[in-house]
Amino acid sequence: MQTILSIGADALSYGMVLFIISIGLSVTMGLMKVVNLAHGAFAMIGGYIASYATQQMGLPFGVAIIAAVLGTMLVAVPLERFLYRRIYGAPELTQVLMTIGITFAIIGIANFAMGPTLKTIALPSQLQGPVDLGFRTIAAHKLFAAAVGVVVAIALWFIIERTPFGVRLRASVDDAAMAGALGIRTKIIYAVSFALAVGLAALGGVVGAQLLPIEPYYALHYMVTFLVVVSVGGAGSITGALVAALLLGAVQTTGRYLMPEYGEFFFYLAVIAIVCVFPNGLMGRSK
Amino acid sequence: MSKLLLASLTLALTSSVAFADTIKIGVVGPFSGPAALQGKNFQAGIDAWLAINGNTIGDDTIEIVYRDLPAPDPAQSAALTQELIVSEGVQYLAGYYYTPDAMAAAPILEEGNVPMVVFNAATSAIVNASPYVVRTSFTTWQTSTPMAAVARERGIDKVITVVSDYGPGVDSEAAFVAGFTEAGGEIVESVRMPMNTNDFSPMMQRIKDSGAEAVFAFLPAGPATLGFVQAYVENGLKDAGVTLLAPGDLTQEPDLAALGDNAVGLLTTFHYAVSHDSPENEVFVEAASKAIGSASELSFPAVGAYDGMYVISKMIEATGGNQDAAAAVEAVKGLSWVSPRGPVSINPENRHLTQNIYLREVAQEDGQYINREIQTFENQGDPGWKAP
Amino acid sequence: MSETTLNPSASTPLWRRSVTRDLVAVLILAAVAVALFFLFPSNLALLTRIVAMMLLVLSLDLVTGYSGVATLGHATLFGAGAYAAGIVAAKFGITDPLLMLAVGALAGAAAGAISSLVILRGHGLSQLVLSIAVVSLAHEAANKLSGWTGGSDGLSGISPSALFGMFRFDLFGRTAFIMSVVLLLVVFVVLRIIVRSPFGMLCRGIKQDPVRIRAMGAPVYFTLVKMYAIAGAVAGLGGALSAIATKVVGLDSLSFTLSAEALVMLVLGGTGKLFGALVGTLVFVWFEDRVSAINPFHWLTIVGCLLVAVVLFAPKGLTGAAEAIWKRMRGARS
Repeated sequence: MQTILSIGADALSYGMVLFIISIGLSVTMGLMKVVNLAHGAFAMIGGYIASYATQQMGLPFGVAIIAAVLGTMLVAVPLERFLYRRIYGAPELTQVLMTIGITFAIIGIANFAMGPTLKTIALPSQLQGPVDLGFRTIAAHKLFAAAVGVVVAIALWFIIERTPFGVRLRASVDDAAMAGALGIRTKIIYAVSFALAVGLAALGGVVGAQLLPIEPYYALHYMVTFLVVVSVGGAGSITGALVAALLLGAVQTTGRYLMPEYGEFFFYLAVIAIVCVFPNGLMGRSK
Repeated sequence: MSKLLLASLTLALTSSVAFADTIKIGVVGPFSGPAALQGKNFQAGIDAWLAINGNTIGDDTIEIVYRDLPAPDPAQSAALTQELIVSEGVQYLAGYYYTPDAMAAAPILEEGNVPMVVFNAATSAIVNASPYVVRTSFTTWQTSTPMAAVARERGIDKVITVVSDYGPGVDSEAAFVAGFTEAGGEIVESVRMPMNTNDFSPMMQRIKDSGAEAVFAFLPAGPATLGFVQAYVENGLKDAGVTLLAPGDLTQEPDLAALGDNAVGLLTTFHYAVSHDSPENEVFVEAASKAIGSASELSFPAVGAYDGMYVISKMIEATGGNQDAAAAVEAVKGLSWVSPRGPVSINPENRHLTQNIYLREVAQEDGQYINREIQTFENQGDPGWKAP
Repeated sequence: MSETTLNPSASTPLWRRSVTRDLVAVLILAAVAVALFFLFPSNLALLTRIVAMMLLVLSLDLVTGYSGVATLGHATLFGAGAYAAGIVAAKFGITDPLLMLAVGALAGAAAGAISSLVILRGHGLSQLVLSIAVVSLAHEAANKLSGWTGGSDGLSGISPSALFGMFRFDLFGRTAFIMSVVLLLVVFVVLRIIVRSPFGMLCRGIKQDPVRIRAMGAPVYFTLVKMYAIAGAVAGLGGALSAIATKVVGLDSLSFTLSAEALVMLVLGGTGKLFGALVGTLVFVWFEDRVSAINPFHWLTIVGCLLVAVVLFAPKGLTGAAEAIWKRMRGARS
C-alpha cells in the first residue's frame, strides 16, 4: 500500500511537470493552429534567464521567474511579428520547417552564448528540502511545480472562457475573417496569445528545470514529449492537457518502477492505444 | 666538428627530401550537438599539447583538421573519415567520441594506410576492429571493475546495479557484477533504465525496496546525472546510508557545479581527475584551461586527446614523417610515459592503455567541487577485452 | 506537377510525352551524377550517403507528398532495411550486395505495411504522434535486441562481397557510388511510372479529398497501405545501401531525428514532386556538410537560418520556387 501511495505521489508530481511545460504548446497548437516545434526553445530561454538571474546576479527565485517569463516574451515579440505571422494558416509542413529552423538557430546561439554545460536554477531554501507527506517524503520543488500547475490551469481556463479577451480569441480562431469584420483586431489577439503561450513555456522551463535540466539541446530533447502530451490531450484543451499529462505521467512512472527496462515500451504503447481510440485527443474537438 | 656538421646536414637533407613538411591529423568529434562539451575538450587537449610542445616534430609541421560529428552516426562517420583520408590527405586519424562512429571508421584504415588514435570511445571491442587502432582513453570495463573491490573493502555485501540501458551501461553493469560476485558479494537486483529517463524517483523507490546496502550506477556524463543524484538525495537514500558507487562519468568535473552539495561524498572510480596532484597534470591543466577558456569546463576527454597527441607525435618521430601506418602503430606498442593522469603504457597486445584507476570522493575545496583521489589501483588493464 | 496539367491541343499522345520526359529526367540525373563523380572524386562517400538519404526522402514523398500522410517516423522503414541487410550479412553470411539490397527492400516493405496499420489510424497531429510512437518503439526494440543489432554500439562486422564478384567496395567509394546512382535511377523511373499510374492518381485523390474518394467506392485504407509498402521498399533500399556503403548500422538509422531530418529535406525541396525530394536532400546534406566543415562549432545556427529563409522566400520549397521563376520567365517571353 505504501509503495502504491508513493508511486502515486511520484506520478502526480511528474504529471504536473509535464502539464506545466506542455500547456503553452497546447495554446499555440490548439487555438492558433501553429505546430510550434520551437516551444521547447522558448522554455529553454526561460530557464537560461532564470539560471542567470539566480546564479550570476543573485536575484531571488520569485524575481527570476518573472524575469524569465517577461524576458522570453520580449524575445518572442519580434519573432512573432516577423516570422510566425507569416505562417499562420500555412500548411503544417511549412510550419514544421520554419519552427525547426528557429529551434536550430536558438540552440546554436545558446551553445555559443551560454556554453554547452548544464545550468541550474538556485532554489530558495523553502523549496530545497523534503516535505513529509506522512507516508513518505517528497521534494518541496515538486510540490511547488504541482501547485503552479494547478494555478496555471485555473487561470488559463478563466482567461479563455470568462474574459472578453478569451471570447475574442475564440472568435478569431474559429473564423478570423468574420471576427475581423466584427471589429476584433485579430493580429493583436494573435500576438497577445502567442506571447501568453511563450510566457507559459518559459514558466514551465523554469519550474520544470529540476527534472528537465537546462542545456542547449533541451529544445530538441523534450520536443517529442511536449507534442505527445498535447496531442494525446487534444490540442487547445486545458483539461485535456491536464488529463493527458497525469495519465502519461502515471503510465511512465509506474512503468519505470515495475519494469524499468521496458519503460519506454509502456509509454509509447499507451500513446498508440489512446490516440487510436481518441483520434482527436482525449478532450479534443472533432473536426 | 665538420663531421658532425656534415652528418646533421645530410640528416636534414634526407629527412626534408624524404617527406613533405606538413602532416595533417584529422580529428572527428562532437564539436556541436548535445556532447559539444566533450568535443570542446578534445580540442582543448590538442591545443594544450601544441601549446606545450609546439607544432613541429623534427622538420614536420602538424596541422589539425577538425570534422564535426554531433551524434552517433556511423554513415556520416564513414563519410567524414573517407573524406579526410582521400581529400584532405590526413596521415593520422584521431578523436571519435562514440563507439559506432569509431567502428564505422575502422574498416577504412588499412586501405587508407592511416592509424587511428581513439580519444574517447570506450567499448572494449573497438581495438579489435582494425590492427591500426590505438586508444588513449579508457574502457567502461576498466573504470568500473575496481569499484567491486572498493565495495567489498567497505564491508558492503548486497548491491543493486542501476545503469542506463545502452552499450556502455551494459558493459559497466557486467564489469561490476563480475568483480563483485567474484569477491563474494551479492547482487540483489540489476535494473536498466531507458536512456531518456528524466524522473528518477520511481527508480529510487525501487532501490529502497530492494534492501541493498549500496547502489552501483552508470549514467553517461551530462544532463541525466543531475536528476539522478538529486533524486538520490531527495528520496532520502543518502540519509538512509545507501552508498552510491559509480564510474566517474557520473561526476565529470563540468557537471559538479550543477550537482552541488548533493554530490559531496559520492564515490566514483575513474582514470582521470582534473584535481590529480602531479607536476605533469599541473602543466596540462594550466594549458588546457587556457585553451578551453574556462577551467570549469575541463573534463576527461581532454586528457585522452592530450595523450593521443603524444602518441601521434611518437608515431611521427618513429616513421620520420613517412606515411606508414603499420610501422607507426608498431612503434608505439609498449610505449610508456607519465601522463597527466599518472603513469601509463600501451599494451602491445590490444593497443589500449594500461593505467591507474583512482577511487575518488566528491569534495569541496576553495569553493570548487572536485573529485579528490583517495585510493589508487595501479596498472589496470582492460578486463573487458577478449582476443579476437 | 507539370505533367498533370494536360494540354489537349498537343498533337503527340500523352504516353509518348511522358516517356520523353522520363528519358530527359534520367539523362539529367545521370549527367549530374557523372559530373559529381569527376568534380568531387574524394567526396564519394558523402555522395553515396546523400543517395541513401534521397531514397529515404523519395519514400517519404510517396506517403507525405503524394498521399497526404503526415509522418515524423519514416526512419522506421529506412532502419528496417538497414538492419535487415546488415543482419543477413553479419550473422548469416549473405554478403552479396544485390541480395542485401533485395533483403533491405523486402524488410522495408514489410515494415511499411505493418507500421501503416498504426499510422493510418490517425489524422493530422495525431498521425504525427502515432508515427513518432512507432519510430520510438522500433528504436527501443533495436536497442533491446542488442544480440542481433549490436544495440547502441552499432551492428558491425558487415563486409559486403564484391559487386558481381568483380567490383570491390574500395576506399574511394567508387563502386558504392556507381551502384547507388544506378539504383537511384531505376527507383526514380519506377516511381515516375507509379505516381502517374491510376494507382498513383488515386493516392493523390485521397490526399485532396479522402471522403469523396471513399464515396466513389475506392478502398482508401487499403490503397494507402499499399502505397506505404511501396514506400517501405524504397526506404529499405536506402537503408540497405547505407549498410553496404558504411559497413556499420547504428541506432540513428531508426531515430526520430533522422525522420525529422528527412521531412525537413522533403519540405525544403518541395513536396509532391520526385525532383523536389532529390533537390532537397542534395542541398540540405551538402550545405550541412560544407558549413559544418567550415565551422564545426557553430554551424547549426546557419542551417536554422537557411530553413527559416526558405519558408520566407520559397514557401513551396526550392523546386516550387524554381518552377515559379521558370513560369514567370516563359510568361514574360510569350
